[in-house]
Amino acid sequence: MTTPLGASVDSDAGGNGALPGTRFIDPAALARIGNLELVARWVVEGFLSGLHRSPHLGFSTDFAEHRQYVPGDDIRRIDWRVFARTERYYVKEYEADTNTNFMVLLDVSKSMQYGSGPLSKLEYAKYLAACLTYFSHRQRDRVGLISFDDDVRAFVPPSAKHLQQVLHELDRATPLGKGSLVRPLAKVAESQRRRGVMLVLSDLYEEPDRVISALGPLRDAGHDVVVMQILDPMERSFAFDDAATFEDVETLVRLPVVPSRVRGDYQRLMEAHLATMSKRLGEHRIDYCLVDTSQPLDAMLFEYLLGRERMRTVK
Amino acid sequence: MSFSFLAPLFAAGLLAIGIPLLVHLVHKERKESVAFPSLMFVERTPYQHSSRQRIRDWLLFAARCLVIALAAAAFMRPVVARPVRPVTGGAGGREVVVLLDRSLSMAYGTRWATARRMVRERIASLVPTDRLTLVPFDVRASAVNEATAERLALGVALDSLRTVDTGTRLAPAVALARRILGASTLPGKEVMIVSDFQRSAWDLGDEVRMPVGTTIVPMDVATDAVSDRSVRGVEIRRDVKAPNDRVIVTARVVNVGSAVKGVGVRLEVSGRTLERRTLDVPADGGATVAFASVPVPSERVPARVVIDPDAFTGDDAFHFVLARAPAIAVLLVDHRNAVPERAVFVARALAIGDQPAFDIKAVRSDRATPADLAGRRLVILNDAGVPPGVGATALMRFVRSGGGLVNALGEHASPRTWPTGADSLLPGSVGTPLDRLGEKGAVLGYLDRSHPALAVFGGARSGDLSAARFFRYRPIAATNGVLARFDDGTAAVVEHRIGRGRVLTWGSSFDGSWNDLPRQAVFLPFLQQLARYAASYRERRASYTVGDGVDVGDAVGDGSERPRASTGERYSVRAPSGARLAVGGADAPGALEVREAGFYEVRRSGAPNERARIVAANPPARELEFASFDPLRLSGALAPEPLVASTETAADPAVRFIDQEREQSLWWYLLVVAALVLLAEGVLASRASQRRIQPR
Repeated sequence: MTTPLGASVDSDAGGNGALPGTRFIDPAALARIGNLELVARWVVEGFLSGLHRSPHLGFSTDFAEHRQYVPGDDIRRIDWRVFARTERYYVKEYEADTNTNFMVLLDVSKSMQYGSGPLSKLEYAKYLAACLTYFSHRQRDRVGLISFDDDVRAFVPPSAKHLQQVLHELDRATPLGKGSLVRPLAKVAESQRRRGVMLVLSDLYEEPDRVISALGPLRDAGHDVVVMQILDPMERSFAFDDAATFEDVETLVRLPVVPSRVRGDYQRLMEAHLATMSKRLGEHRIDYCLVDTSQPLDAMLFEYLLGRERMRTVK
Repeated sequence: MSFSFLAPLFAAGLLAIGIPLLVHLVHKERKESVAFPSLMFVERTPYQHSSRQRIRDWLLFAARCLVIALAAAAFMRPVVARPVRPVTGGAGGREVVVLLDRSLSMAYGTRWATARRMVRERIASLVPTDRLTLVPFDVRASAVNEATAERLALGVALDSLRTVDTGTRLAPAVALARRILGASTLPGKEVMIVSDFQRSAWDLGDEVRMPVGTTIVPMDVATDAVSDRSVRGVEIRRDVKAPNDRVIVTARVVNVGSAVKGVGVRLEVSGRTLERRTLDVPADGGATVAFASVPVPSERVPARVVIDPDAFTGDDAFHFVLARAPAIAVLLVDHRNAVPERAVFVARALAIGDQPAFDIKAVRSDRATPADLAGRRLVILNDAGVPPGVGATALMRFVRSGGGLVNALGEHASPRTWPTGADSLLPGSVGTPLDRLGEKGAVLGYLDRSHPALAVFGGARSGDLSAARFFRYRPIAATNGVLARFDDGTAAVVEHRIGRGRVLTWGSSFDGSWNDLPRQAVFLPFLQQLARYAASYRERRASYTVGDGVDVGDAVGDGSERPRASTGERYSVRAPSGARLAVGGADAPGALEVREAGFYEVRRSGAPNERARIVAANPPARELEFASFDPLRLSGALAPEPLVASTETAADPAVRFIDQEREQSLWWYLLVVAALVLLAEGVLASRASQRRIQPR
């Protein structure tokens, strides 16, 4: 097996005593992004003190407001300077930082099986999911996984102890059926009440309206939704040479195609689709990232996390 | 008008129609397709993509199928011919010969009834000037009436006919018809052949031509599909694991038609069911069933393997005789000074024989007496010379009367010690031993593998006699009857006859001192074959085939080969149908011709209370092959000039040739039509291709 960085690793990680799925954790990628943080752009809920902004006030260094003292408050939090000026008891409140749920929503439909290079889209997405899960776990976030095609196929509930289960499920995930976002994501929105980060890894071969209608409930539920659209370079360039019959791996529709005749139109339609997707998702405050599987994983992660930090700073 | 094909097998070419369809829908597409995650954008491009999973150009597809069908039909060589109908009446009358097949296969289904109805209709259509001869045939043919137009007499003759258990041969019947027609003075001649036209019934080498002007009317009654199961044979072999003398009967069941499960098969011995089994037989295939071992009775008892009855019961049972193979009584004479451990080779080699078994009585040469020869069929002088107690005269008498003698000339069998008068027991003069020890021994350089005694070594991997080394042997000066020679040309095994008996002389020993032959694996069959041959042993058959001629004395005897003339015995035979036959003697055939399937009971005449001896007979296997041939081929063979068969007006040969060509020229038109359709297909395909690649 070749990692997105080009390093060769043993595909049978379990054979060396390692846990299944650990092969997807790319040390080089982690080393490159080690000094970054994956921070929720929106307010999320958690139990522990972490990196993400909490809806609740708590212990932190960021001052939020003063509140009048009520019996029961910790007298250590009384702001004596305000008392000196006003002779009233006020307590200082700070914004709380918390940990969060980090859920990977992995598309395992058959279209993800495609790959013109050494890695299929699914393999690439697994690396991506594994690295980000490990990264989040290190931040004390609770990690979980849902794989889906046109329905939920596997579910690992978010927990701080579920890194191994997530990696195991990643290892087991195989492309099976036809893909669709609406039904599985609706189930996720219903089941995952606690606000957290939802990382959707899919090739998004659906109409933008349907994608929005699928992701909307997640966003409406308060989740910080990150969509990574994973595409193979051949899917964007359609750089096939010979005329042949092309078969849609999900619908099994077969079409005789002369690539040189359709390439221009195909590229135009594809780019329009990607642009629409980026625009519409942005409108719905959903973080969107286009991932090219020919791109090295570490560079891609570094670029994405850096950009996300910048956006947080700007905000 | 009748329509037929000269080469109907080319109809298989019609299956080729499925090929473009298959290629169109499945094969080619799967092979060349490129898997792609989604074609949602490709489908939106402004080019038309044809889906090959469905047929769009039906007209094109139909044209291609039509081309294949026309080509196949052309190769089938269609023939349009006027039907050959029996001509009723006619000026001056007709000589009609009806050849009616009554072989076993005609008993299948309604064939026999159909055949009789056809003959009856032909009889009814006779006019007073016609004459008809009814000739039933199986492997032989004979007319059952004088040529006549008497319908009543012909009807009675027809009603008296039954099917028989024999096979079919058309040639004798056709030859008889030719004789009858050739002798007729009537102007019209007609041969009506009513048969199922089994392929085995007509040999292409049977060249019989009908007289000029003969109308040949083949009437095929084999129009129904055959479904039949039959027991084709049994194999009887000794159960080597059983403590006593038991045999295992294995039967082969053949199925014609679709597969059948759970066919009941039972083994009956002396009319009593010993075991019942079931087996599944595949479509148009066979299966074997092995029954548990049964004890072998000392007397010959009737046995049969029977399957559940089907539509054709004539072949549902296979009859055979179960009996212990007679043992060959052997007198083994060893030299008085023979070392016991060396004399044991011959006795051991014969003792383990079971087909046949050898009943061995071993004596030392100084203790042998003429009484020892009583009841023996073979004497083996194992390097013993002529036993003084027996004497050359008694030994000669024994051989002359049909006994066998195997004489091994070892160290003790010097001719100088032979008594006077015993020279004729040797094939020629015997010299002093030749010593080949210095050359690491001699080998057998020549074997007459065509000789019955050594024929068993004629097959591949049947035993290598050249592996044995011979260090000493006695040269035998014999020119005739040499069965084997050593590598220096010296005779090793020589046969000569005395009276009815056979004498085999072996130039070396059987005790392992002059050679290592007894230590070779091939020694056992070698010695047994020599003993069988010298004793004139002949295997008794467990069953015969209907149509065989059976030497009754041989079939019921003890296994020894005796000239027929010498038996002179008269037998009374009871056929399976109950008919009584006489065999042997001065006024009866010397052999029994088996005409019915079942058990024949044979008794010596004048011994009515004697236990009947059994001869089993079964239908010939060829008769149970129901494959048939086109009767038109027979018509063509009997009357190569078509107009002879179809019309009575003998036309000019050139005209006949033109007519013949005209009848068969349809293939030419079919090919022309196919070419035109192919042309149209090309145009259609070109247009469809253009249409498909045009942008919307």
